[in-house]
Amino acid sequence: MPDITLIKDFFSRGIEENMHSLYAIALRLTRNAADAEDLVADCVIKAWSAIQSLEDKSRFRPWMFRILHNCFISNYRKKSVRPTELTYCEECGDDADDDIASLLIEQPNEFLCWWANPERELTNQLLGEDISVAIDALPEVFRITVSLISVEGLSYDEAAEVLEVSPGTIRSRMNRGRTLLQKALWQHAKDAGLIKDVAMMECKSYE
Amino acid sequence: MSDKSNIPEITDSDCLAAMDHLYAYLNGELKDKEKHALVEHHLGHCKSCFSRAEMERQINSRLKASGVKEMPETLQKRLRGILDKF
Ligand SMILES: [Zn+2]
Repeated sequence: MPDITLIKDFFSRGIEENMHSLYAIALRLTRNAADAEDLVADCVIKAWSAIQSLEDKSRFRPWMFRILHNCFISNYRKKSVRPTELTYCEECGDDADDDIASLLIEQPNEFLCWWANPERELTNQLLGEDISVAIDALPEVFRITVSLISVEGLSYDEAAEVLEVSPGTIRSRMNRGRTLLQKALWQHAKDAGLIKDVAMMECKSYE
Repeated sequence: MSDKSNIPEITDSDCLAAMDHLYAYLNGELKDKEKHALVEHHLGHCKSCFSRAEMERQINSRLKASGVKEMPETLQKRLRGILDKF
């Protein structure tokens, strides 16, 4: 039986190193600062009580995210669902690897033009806050997948471990999630008045 | 790669195949060497997909930078309090 002080030190260090990430993911899941704080605190208590189940110490980060996610599902999800969330059919969206064509068709061409605008002044107005608004508009499965991988930098394998799905499912959720994110960014940019006149926009591609 | 006769003509299905792997490619998750080479080759020859990949790269860096940098002090204190009790 390993020394309990060693385990405690390991755990405390792990929490110190990952608390920002845990809070960031909790915030994306609950979309509410007070709930996010409670969720992280609950998750830390739960994780400590389950520390013996962590077999591979190098997997601490995905293991913590998995506990956070499970804790969210059992205690917080119900109250966080909002009517503004885009609808998503759990059965028809996942693992549909061959629907990339339809995803590309959904993609507004103006968005690409806007993004490729050589002056960049438009897209430079897109701040972290705008990105957060767009992420928050995504259905939960995509919100969490995009946040874990694109924001927190987890690998597909780690994200699969957190969400308890196959890496293939993560891959198709990334395809759809990022396409939806572009849509949400475009919508947000229009709503926030960052785009004045789409018709006036000159479309240039990268050289 | 200056010999143009070696470059296959780009078809819509090539674009779709490349786009299908684009995120995995940009995230360093496209481990199949053959597919990786296909995407790389396609991006080198298709302006439209290259533009799209550039945009995705930029969105990637925006997303990375959008992570939470500050967390509430109340939560930090609360977590340290919890850890102290263990
Ligand atoms: Zn192409």
